[in-house]
Order: sequence, then C-alpha cells, then structure tokens
Amino acid sequence: MKIGVYFCNCGSNISDKVDSEQVRQVIETMGDVAYFKTNDLMCSDDGKAFLHEDIAAENPDRIVIAACSPREHENTFMRVLTGVGMNPYLMQMANIREQVAWVTDDIGEASLKAATLIKGAVKRVGFHKPLEKKSIDMSPDVLVIGAGPAGLKAALTIAETGRKVVIVEKRPVIGGQPVLYEEVFPNLECAPCMLEPMLNDILHGEHAVNIEILTLSEVVELTGFYGNFIAKVKKTPRYVDLHQCIGCGECIGVCPVDVKNECNNGLDGRKAISLSFAGALPNVPFIDMSACLRARDEECRLCEQSCPLGDGIILYGDVQETVERHIGAVIVAVGASLYDAGLIPKLGYGRVPDVYTSIEFERLLSSTGPTGGQLTTRSGRQPKSIAIIHCVGSLDANHKEYCSGVCCQSAFKFNLMAGHKLHETRIYHLYKELVYPGKEEFFLYKRARENPNAAFIRYQNIDRLMITEEEDGIMIENTLSVDGSIKADMVVLCAALAPAKDTGKLNEVLDTTADTYGFFEELHGRLDSARSKVRGIYIAGACQSPMNIQQAITQGMAAAGYVLSGLVEGKQLDIEPITASVDTDRCSGCRVCMLLCPYRAIGFDDDSRKSSVNEVLCQGCGTCVAACPAGAISGNHFTNEAIYAEIEGVLA
Amino acid sequence: MSEDTLLDTAEGFEPKIVGFLCNWCSYAGADKAGGSQKSYPPNVSVIRVMCSGRVDPQFVLKAYSAGADGVLILACHPGDCHYKEGNYMAMQRHRILLRMLSEHGIDSARCRFDYVSAAEGDRFIEILTEMVDTIRALGPMVSDNTVGNKIMVKRS
Repeated sequence: MKIGVYFCNCGSNISDKVDSEQVRQVIETMGDVAYFKTNDLMCSDDGKAFLHEDIAAENPDRIVIAACSPREHENTFMRVLTGVGMNPYLMQMANIREQVAWVTDDIGEASLKAATLIKGAVKRVGFHKPLEKKSIDMSPDVLVIGAGPAGLKAALTIAETGRKVVIVEKRPVIGGQPVLYEEVFPNLECAPCMLEPMLNDILHGEHAVNIEILTLSEVVELTGFYGNFIAKVKKTPRYVDLHQCIGCGECIGVCPVDVKNECNNGLDGRKAISLSFAGALPNVPFIDMSACLRARDEECRLCEQSCPLGDGIILYGDVQETVERHIGAVIVAVGASLYDAGLIPKLGYGRVPDVYTSIEFERLLSSTGPTGGQLTTRSGRQPKSIAIIHCVGSLDANHKEYCSGVCCQSAFKFNLMAGHKLHETRIYHLYKELVYPGKEEFFLYKRARENPNAAFIRYQNIDRLMITEEEDGIMIENTLSVDGSIKADMVVLCAALAPAKDTGKLNEVLDTTADTYGFFEELHGRLDSARSKVRGIYIAGACQSPMNIQQAITQGMAAAGYVLSGLVEGKQLDIEPITASVDTDRCSGCRVCMLLCPYRAIGFDDDSRKSSVNEVLCQGCGTCVAACPAGAISGNHFTNEAIYAEIEGVLA
Repeated sequence: MSEDTLLDTAEGFEPKIVGFLCNWCSYAGADKAGGSQKSYPPNVSVIRVMCSGRVDPQFVLKAYSAGADGVLILACHPGDCHYKEGNYMAMQRHRILLRMLSEHGIDSARCRFDYVSAAEGDRFIEILTEMVDTIRALGPMVSDNTVGNKIMVKRS
C-alpha cells in the first residue's frame, strides 16, 4: 500500500511550533509511507491545486493530511480527492493545529505529539475503504396530518411547487381552532376574514388540484421511511358527496333529529345532518350516523329527498374505508387542546353553570356560536360582571409547569370583546403572572388596563381559589384572604394548552416520540423545532409546543422548507455512506441493537431472525456497533480495525 | 503509598493517555481550547469518534494493552447528544467497565469519563490536565498490575 503524507504549515500557524523535519524523520520510517510533503497553506487555492496535481502524479492508495481540525477542512480536502478521481474516504486528517501547535509551548514536545498523531492517522488510513454515496428513488409528495393553520400553510406552500399533498383531518371541517373564533389577538382581526382566503386557496385555489383533503379521517398506520412512506388512512363516511354538494343546506332544515353540537361545546343543538357551524369549510354537511334515524333501521330519507341536486349527493351507502398513500415525508400539525379545567375541581367547571373554558367563551362571543354572539348567561341574562381567570393549570407543578404564552392574550381579547358588547359589565382579571412578549402583544394588555370597568387581581395559587354557585351569582373566594372574595355572573377559565387527546396514539402510529409534557418531541429545541426525531417526519404548530397562530404558521412553513429542500422532485435521495451494517452470518438475533438505536433505523426479519440497518434512517453514530455482543455490526469509516490501528499508531 | 514512593514512580515518567472524543461536542471543545491558544500538557492523543456511544469498552482495553497509562472518554453533556442518547450509553458502559477494570487490578482513575461541550475549551484543558496529573501520580500502567498488559483484546 502506498500512503502519502501531506503536512500543512498553515502559514506559520503550525510550522512555528512543529518542526516538520523532525516529524518527517519519524513518519518516513513507517512502512507504507511512500512520501512526506509539506505545503504552506493547503486549504488555499494554490494549496488545493498542489494537492490535486500531486495526487494525480503520485497516485497514492491512501493519504494523510496533517493540518487543522477535520472539523475545519475535512470536507474541503474530500472535495479535492473527488475532483482528482480518488475516493474521498481514503483520506485521514491529523489535527496538528488546534490540538498540537496552538496548545503546546515546547517545539520538541509539539513535534513529537504531531508525529504521534500522524502515526495514528497513517495506521488508521490503511483500513479505510472506499465508500460511495448511494441514492434511491423517492416520492416528493407529502402527508399533512391536521388541517389547522400550521398544516394548511405547510400544505399550501408545498402544493404551490406542484407537488401532491394529502391532508388528513379528523374533523369534518378545515381551519383548525381559529375558525371557531370571532376575532384573533393581538389586533382583534376578524378570524374568518383572515383565514378564509387561505382556506379557499386550499379548496379552490390555483394549486388546489395538488391537494387532496381527507376529512373525518385519521392515519392508522405508517410504514417505510424518509422518501418512501406508505400511510394508511381510515376514512369515516361523510354520507354526503364532498365534490358535488353545493352546500345549500336544504337537507339540514328537514332533518328531524336534534343532538348537542359538540362544535359549540354542547351549548346548542344541531341536526343529525349538519354543518359544524355557519360558514364551515368545506361547505358540505355530514351525517352523524350515531344520531341518524337510519342507524336505528328507520327508513328516513328526508335529507335525500330535499336535495335540489337529486339523488347521488346524499350517500346512505357510504362506508368506512382505508386508503393508502405513498409519500416521501409527513408533517404532523394536529394542534393542542385546553388543559382539562375539571382537574381543578374547586374552580367549579362542569358544576357551576356559568363557568366556561376559554374556547367555550370564544363560541359565546362568536356570531356563528350558540347564542349568535349575544353574551348571556345560561339563564339568558346579561352578565353584570365576568371574572377571567388566567394561568388555569399553568406554571403549576401540580398541573402544567410551563406557561402557554397565549392565554393572557386570549384573556385581554375577551376583556375588549366583552366590553364592546356590554358597556357596563365589570371585568375581573385574576392572574398568577401576566405574559405578553412581542412587538404587538402589549397592545391588548394596554387596552385591557385602560378599560375603566376592568380590575386586575393577582392570586398566588389556583388551588386556593374556590368557585361556588350562589343565588345571586357566582362567588369566587380566595381562601387565603378573609376579604379576598368577588362575585361574578360568569367565569372564564383560561386554561393551559396541553397535548391534543390523540397525540399519544398518533405518536405510536408514527413511531415518533413525546416530550415530558406529551407534546410531539422536536429534534432540537432551538435549531430543529420543526423536525421530529424520525427523519422525514416534521412537526408544526401547537402539537410541538403551546404557540400562537403566527408561530404555528411560521413553523408550518419551516416544515415545508425541510420537505422542499430535502425531497427534490426529479432527484434521488442521497444516502450518506457513514452508516452501520450488519454481518448477517454473525448476527445472533438478540436485538440489543434495536433497543439502542435512537433513530429506529434497525429492523428485524422474523423469518431469518436477523437484524438489518436501514441506511436511510441510520445516522452513523455507532452506538449499535459498540453494543453488538457478537461483533456483527460494523460502522463504516469507523470500523473496529481502523480505530484499533489508530490506537496502536498513537501509542507506538 | 507514601509520598516518597509516589515521587519514585513518577520520576522521569511521561504518561501516555488516549482520549476518545465525540465529534460534535467534546472534539469541538478540544478544538475550542486550541482556538484560545492556551498551552496544556502534550500527553493526550485524541481519537475522534462520531459519538461517545461508539466507544466500545474494547477500545479502552486495546489502549491499555498497546501501552496507554490512562484513557479519557469525553462526551456531550446529558441532553445534548447529537445522536440523542449515545452519551448515556457511553456513561453506562463506563460504569460497568470500571467494575471490570478493578477486578483486573486497574485503578479506576485510569479510565475517566466526563462531559465537555463544544463551548468548554477551558473545561477540556482542566479535565485533561487533571488526568495527566492523576496518571503521573499513579505511575506507569505496568507498576500497579501487570494484568493490565495481558488483557486480551478481541479483534473482529
């Protein structure tokens, strides 16, 4: 084997401290070392040209470059090797700048240490094998789970590039949580006006042809890996043709069945065939078969008979089906839920009639809500006073330790919206902390403070608040203080945001992970918050962490960015060659590797009882290599042989 | 061991130490120490691995049998591992390895596991200097037990 050693002076950074002649004398005596050459600045254009020409002339089997840290210029030199037609993995760098020249005072000691590290590199490089980047076919199409702001923005961004996007939404409507709101913080913008252009782009826009929306659907299985996932989606029947129905609502008027409207938190009723609320999109009703008379074998066809388009729009024969989609990546954007205020029983939620959650209150304020936007108590009176309780379940070790960051904004918004509707109504803000960061968010706080009917009262511990029903209203007692009680006609609980109900189940289906609080876990909190720990599965919006609409939209676009840069239409997916591989002859099938792999990159064949590494998912950490009791797994470029040789080299 | 004998064993002895450093945190931390151009003892030869989780206990044994007087394994801080949890594996393996080394009469101080982040150049120097001082005080590997040199290293 012919090994060439290149010694870089790094201007004088290295040569001031390391005597290349002393090093040469040691290294040239090593077997396999064919030559030892110095260069003044190998990373410069002249230096790279020298390296290129010299490799072409010498035609070595392996080279060692003694220079700066490989973290600095390994890629630079690998590109030179590729350019000259030498496999870039047949090179090893010895770090004689950061770890020798710059940190060793004595020239003799520095030269000796440099020689030691180069010996290790020379020994090691003999075991390097040529490695090739592989590439595989992939699908540029994407599955988006959840049709809220984050998911829809991601879907639209991707669809605009001509790719196919499948949106899976469990509810019959798209738009997520904000479609239920009348106005949004921080500027009291009309929520439907803000969202509808985006929803219409999704449904009927220029790129809508690229978007398939599966409502009343859920992902039940995901197999494969980045670039080539197969998703199975269970579709619950809508019983109405999504494409032909014109949304006139004739069928709703004739339906004889009344049930509670879950979309308005049961505060009003709806028919068995209904829209979730006026203006819901897609503007196509659905039949709730659990309520429909036909489910009780009654031969009711009133909705079908009322349809002005005739037969074939109402589809009583619609059945549940499971469809498969081949996609390259998945964006999870399933949002969050409110923390269950019932878990703090003293607050009276579910027991005292006019205690509402913030989302129920949003519906009371909404013109499409159960009262048509009239702010009244359950008994139909105008409230003389409303108590808005902040931090319900937040910043509390017994409930949720974090601050959701959005509830104060909702609370201030309620103050203003209620004030617009009822000019005399007193509004109490009971808070533990007030939070309003950002360049716009102070505005609502300021307005709420300026409201002459508003009072701000700080409490220490939510468990000390006791809410009870009295004849003339609701009593809110602060049990810590003798005079700490107020009366109100309505109470609004601004609860923390918590993971949505099915988050755990979806995590299992996708094989992704949950964080301490049950949210989808990001790859890195600051650098990669839109990526899950599984390659090709991205997370956006409040399913990753409590966040507002702006943040959710931004994260949706971030997820779309990962997809667009990673899966490029017409190109293959590159696979890095530094991965682990299993020698199946030696594999005993113990599966220790599978338990350790942080990327779920190791599969197991039940027939052959052997493990195998998925090169697309493997990130090359080598944890499984070190753990395999049979020594059956090797790590490319970091093989045991190469590392043993380096150990021997530096100790020789 | 009295102070005199300690001096005896240390006289003229330059410890040979092998350091296994993960690419993303500890190796970067060592580079950071280089960037600050502070001098430290030249006794540690660093071998870069992508993750501390790659450090097979056999690497450590191999280092002893090839003449190392001490081994240093440096990893990302808990929670910071580039590969999520390789550093936890390394930490657990190190604990088990220490039990085994003591059965062979190898002082546990000869195999140190610690955390160095990419920002902690000074911490790297501190750990390295402590390690060199510790090994210098312990003396050459052969002096505490010859068994250390007889450990067979499985080559795969």
